[in-house]
Amino acid sequence: MNILYVEDNKINAMVMNKMLTKNASTVVIAENGPTALEIVKDSALDLILVDINLGLNQMDGCELLKRFKKLDFLKNTPIYAVTAYAMPGDAQKFIKIGFDKYFSKPVNFEKLLAAIAKVKSKMNNQKSEH
Amino acid sequence: MIFDQNGDVCEVNKRCEVIFKLPKGKIKGQSIYNFLLDDDELIFKETISELYQNKEQISKTFGFATLASDAILYVKFDLIYSEERIYAFGIDVTQEHEEHTLLKSLSSLTKTGAWHYDPINDKVYFSDECYHLHDLEPGTSLNMVDALHYYPESSRERVKNYWDNLIDHGISYDYVDQILTKKGKKKWIRVIGEAIKHKDKVIFVNGSFSDITDQQNYIEQLKHNEETKKLALKGIRSGLFDHIIETNMVFYSKDFRRMLGLPLDTDFVPEEAFRKMIHPDDLDEAMERHKINLQKTGYHYFNHYRLKHLDGQYRHYDVYGYRKKDKEGNTIRMIGNLIDVHQKKINERTIAENHRRLTAIVNNSFAYTLLLNTSGEILIADKDSIKIIKRDFGVDPTTTTCRFIDVMPVNFKSTFAHEFNEALKGHTVKKEIERMTIKGSVQWLESKYTPIRDEENTIKSVLVVFHDITEQKTAELAIKEAHIKEQELSNLKSNILSNFSHEIRTPLNGIMTICNMLLLGEENPGDRKKLATYLDESKERLLATINNLSHFSEIETIQKNLNYVEVDMNYTVETSFREYRHFANSKNLEYILKLDENCPAAIIDEDIFSTALNNIIHNSIKYTDKGKVVIKVKNEKKKVIVSIKDSGIGIGKDNLKKIFDPFVQESIGLSRKYEGTGIGLSLSKRYIEILGGKIKVSSKLNQGTKFIITIPKNI
Repeated sequence: MNILYVEDNKINAMVMNKMLTKNASTVVIAENGPTALEIVKDSALDLILVDINLGLNQMDGCELLKRFKKLDFLKNTPIYAVTAYAMPGDAQKFIKIGFDKYFSKPVNFEKLLAAIAKVKSKMNNQKSEH
Repeated sequence: MIFDQNGDVCEVNKRCEVIFKLPKGKIKGQSIYNFLLDDDELIFKETISELYQNKEQISKTFGFATLASDAILYVKFDLIYSEERIYAFGIDVTQEHEEHTLLKSLSSLTKTGAWHYDPINDKVYFSDECYHLHDLEPGTSLNMVDALHYYPESSRERVKNYWDNLIDHGISYDYVDQILTKKGKKKWIRVIGEAIKHKDKVIFVNGSFSDITDQQNYIEQLKHNEETKKLALKGIRSGLFDHIIETNMVFYSKDFRRMLGLPLDTDFVPEEAFRKMIHPDDLDEAMERHKINLQKTGYHYFNHYRLKHLDGQYRHYDVYGYRKKDKEGNTIRMIGNLIDVHQKKINERTIAENHRRLTAIVNNSFAYTLLLNTSGEILIADKDSIKIIKRDFGVDPTTTTCRFIDVMPVNFKSTFAHEFNEALKGHTVKKEIERMTIKGSVQWLESKYTPIRDEENTIKSVLVVFHDITEQKTAELAIKEAHIKEQELSNLKSNILSNFSHEIRTPLNGIMTICNMLLLGEENPGDRKKLATYLDESKERLLATINNLSHFSEIETIQKNLNYVEVDMNYTVETSFREYRHFANSKNLEYILKLDENCPAAIIDEDIFSTALNNIIHNSIKYTDKGKVVIKVKNEKKKVIVSIKDSGIGIGKDNLKKIFDPFVQESIGLSRKYEGTGIGLSLSKRYIEILGGKIKVSSKLNQGTKFIITIPKNI
């Protein structure tokens, strides 16, 4: 299972990488929007996790989502928001603009892993159908 | 005289020669026509031929011009025919004939005829003029009963009575009546009848019959004129007067004298008596005017004063007169009219009073008030409007007709036509408009257009009032602004919370994930160490956030525990500069410090000043990726200026004023471009302000930001 994680905070990126790798996934980290857009071109991705605040003068996660949505080959790839914006209403806001799921920081890994597992099983089902 | 059929004279006697004033034998053989007056020639011829036919005697009078031609001779002849000859026996009636002619001409000139009546034979004779007056041919058969028919029916009985009394009792009469002539003309006549009696019995009646139509008409006219004058005098509530200057007596109409209580038994009143009626307050001036008026050139006269009526009330009069002058130019008589103008005066006073009230209302009720006619021309305007129109357009609407639309502020024009037309349709319309005063301040006006109708309910004018609602509007705007501010504060609060939450959650995410992994049992010792380092870094960041927050909340405590000392500003700034040299170097920035050679000193709390300065320096380096950061100290007379200038990303105009708000940095909302709690700059500002200083910022996106700190040398 190939996962792209767009995150500017290095520590968070690294710990997430470790956590997901342990659960039998391949994780690619992109520090900013433009890098992420490059990566999606070359990789077959099963899931994309996007942080919203991507730092100073940078494209933010919402803008990045918009760009992803324009890419036809990503139309079946789920995109989740993983962010420290966790005030009331934030979750709905992100779902509304098009994220498939929303996870607040600190991340509840049980839930995140469960969601990943679902994607994986759906993926397997699709494969067996073929 | 004997003559033949041709009028040739055969024989005359001596007496004849004498009255014809001819020498003896001269007339014989001449034609009688040589002497006859032209008018009589025809009659003579006819008479002769009649004689030759009938051979009966005829009596007739003929006029002759005598040979001396110095007089006319009238002879009354008895003419007899006998054997082809005419025998004429005549007597000289020249004198009688002249008398008769005179009487006839008198009768004709005076339009008076004579008549007489013989009661014994019941015969009436009318002179020619009597016939003429009735438009009848002289000699027409006419008796008294016939004559009665020329009178109108209503008069006949009366006239008949006169007649009977005259004949039966000898009572003379003299009456005036109207007749209708044969030709249908109406005539006024005067008829006189007088009886001649013998032994108390009427034996003859003489009378006259005169046409007095002209006199009668004149009298009628006179009566009518008199009546007109009387009615006119009664009709106008005024007094006609006729002032005879010489006697100083004045004629006043009776009604007028009655009204003033002047004597009624005489038409003329002494002027002094009248003078007493003039109001004492008006008397001197009135007499002065009177004097001047009588002496001035021309013929007119004018005066005015109050007159006391019989009821004790004074009324205003205007006096108009026309003067008659003698050869020397002195006024000798004046006729004129006293006109009661009391009501007019009262009306004038009422109008003036109403006008003053209206002006007061127009000038004081509203900011501006104008009355327009249906063409939009100004009828009335308040004095402020007039002032503005005069000032801005050089037109005085009180003297020059001008349309309001031509003299109004430009921004009124677009809406005026619409509102005005609505008002003309009968609607009352309101509209708020903005106006710039000459002083440049904004004035808010509420304009109200009210149609004004006349008695027939037709709209004749439109009242436009402007009500100054600037205060109201300002208050409204203030409320709106306060509301926005409140909204902003509320937004700020949620932003602070949101940002703060974000800043805590981010490192907490790292901490919790690492904890999780450690708890799950990370066995690789190298990895474990790495995780521990990550843990430490995240912890540091969390702590910094919390420290900043506590700094911010501790400001009040700080304020109470300040430690003011005189410090060398060069030294203090250099210390802070040095602290970030490493950071700046790590980003390969040109990092420059420019100190002031005068070594300015200031009394400050060094700790909080340094904290504030450090924050700003840190901020500048953090947001500058290439170029330079320049820190400069500058001495001024009473203060020290410290500026921090960078070539960094800059701050947008809209956010520039908000960067000192706690927790709010350039990014507001989802896209937070700054890292950190956002407390730093607001804290710096509070610290500098505590020290009595100021902090200013200017910035351009993608070009850099400059902070200027001003610190007073002595607080």
